[in-house]
Amino acid sequence: MTAATRNPSKDQVAFASAATTGFVRSAGEVTASSLAIDACIRAIQAAGVDRRDINGIIGDDNAYVQSALGIPAVNYHVGAGVPFGFAIANAVGAIASGQADVVLAYHSIYRNPSNSRSAASDPFRMAAFRRMAAAMGGGDGFGPDSVAGAVGYTAWASRYLHEFEESRDLFGYVAVNDRSNAARNPAAVMREPITMDDYLASRMVRWPLCILDMDVPIDGADAFVITTAERARDLALPPVLVHACTNGMIAQNEEDQTPSLRNHGQHAVLESLRAKSDLWIEDVDVFFPYDGFSFITISWIENAGWCGLGEARRFIESNWDEKGNRILIDGRVPVNPHGGALSEGGTQGSGHTREAVHQLQGLAGERQVEGARTAMLLLGGFFFNSQGAILRRP
Amino acid sequence: MPTDTEETDAELLARYPDARLDHVNKHFYRGLLHRELRLNRCADCGWWHHRPKPICPSCWSANVVPTPVSGTGTIHLAIFLHQGPPADGVDYATPHPVVTVELDEQEGLRFTSTVVGAANDEIVIGARVQLDWIERGGRPLPAWRLVEGEQR
Repeated sequence: MTAATRNPSKDQVAFASAATTGFVRSAGEVTASSLAIDACIRAIQAAGVDRRDINGIIGDDNAYVQSALGIPAVNYHVGAGVPFGFAIANAVGAIASGQADVVLAYHSIYRNPSNSRSAASDPFRMAAFRRMAAAMGGGDGFGPDSVAGAVGYTAWASRYLHEFEESRDLFGYVAVNDRSNAARNPAAVMREPITMDDYLASRMVRWPLCILDMDVPIDGADAFVITTAERARDLALPPVLVHACTNGMIAQNEEDQTPSLRNHGQHAVLESLRAKSDLWIEDVDVFFPYDGFSFITISWIENAGWCGLGEARRFIESNWDEKGNRILIDGRVPVNPHGGALSEGGTQGSGHTREAVHQLQGLAGERQVEGARTAMLLLGGFFFNSQGAILRRP
Repeated sequence: MPTDTEETDAELLARYPDARLDHVNKHFYRGLLHRELRLNRCADCGWWHHRPKPICPSCWSANVVPTPVSGTGTIHLAIFLHQGPPADGVDYATPHPVVTVELDEQEGLRFTSTVVGAANDEIVIGARVQLDWIERGGRPLPAWRLVEGEQR
């Protein structure tokens, strides 16, 4: 195994702005791309760049979005994929190498009829979903008797409970933390605080994970303007430098063939990120472990080294802020202060990235961590999509 | 190559409209129709792998042979589905067990399916299982059956 450890782009690329439409259960008669366009305009205006300056675009519907926004010409355009760490890595690569100077990156989230009853009653969403399902083809032919896809996280959560003789209320801490944080985020979809009793009483979906362990289907979008650190200094908002970023995937990456809780994509990410970065967990002011499923957050906390494997309960309980009903590491570092995927909405990491940028720009409103300088983003799960980034204020 | 008693590629595809069949994985699915769990094994170095790949991921030999497994193993992951899309023979009210089994053939070689003939509270990680076959949606489906009194 040879992890990537060089980091010639360290602090060379910066977020100039981040913006969101905000998230709701249903934005009504919109499309995925109309939401993206809304967020893009907000990000471009917040950064104070001219649309003619944008020469790179990263997202899921680039030709349409560029055309709608009237961006005259780009020299770099690539699909983003999810979670959003792929977009960060692509933007850094494009800008540091000179393929683009000013990149517009966006991610749109559009409820689909497979996990939203209201979406299923919208004939246009239903038609879009059928087209997507037809394009993707079939599965593995095993129907529900499979752990391929998102179910894989539930399966490995069962392994965690077994190996460490844990109980599922451990995951409940992540759900409660996120909801307490979302109460202070006007962009979040779920803002009513919950208790551990609420968590334990909530609907079981796939044991050991219940509905509150799973991210919330939403409508909305985030967008970002990313450019050289030098250029960002002259724009409207304080620049947020990408200090280090990486992805990670191991050979046995199919959900049921993944070797163990000690060897998966997160470990590949962390080995590389740690080597690239001068800053690590002791320097972090605000922490963003992915939470598309609560169990993923537990794994990121442990694997990043905040505590040992199987020690998340001790770590969370000893860093629990009773007053705020949330995690506050060493009494100062919040975890997903925007409410994360479980409460702000299932943004596949764009919400985490936006909040990290806002925290480091001092724009996080009543959630603001005083004097925040360093943020750690650990996005994605175990199998095909683990990612990490360290952002900092110069 | 299919034997005289096995399906053509076109017939196989028609039996699996819900799966992404191709020239590499078709041998695995053809095995299922004949109630045989055939996983890829390297004829040169002996390494097993799943899902099917065109070469041995260990030694890169193309001499990969779909080979029936012994069918014994240990439950490694275990979940219970309380909801899901309707499927023939699946009762989410039970709820429906799905387990990943580590096969005795090789450490880390695993196969996932449901468990039959057991109460859910008996289906635990570490339990020993034996391969069995059930019918689902008009096709044979490999499923696991607990082996009495064995635990690992």
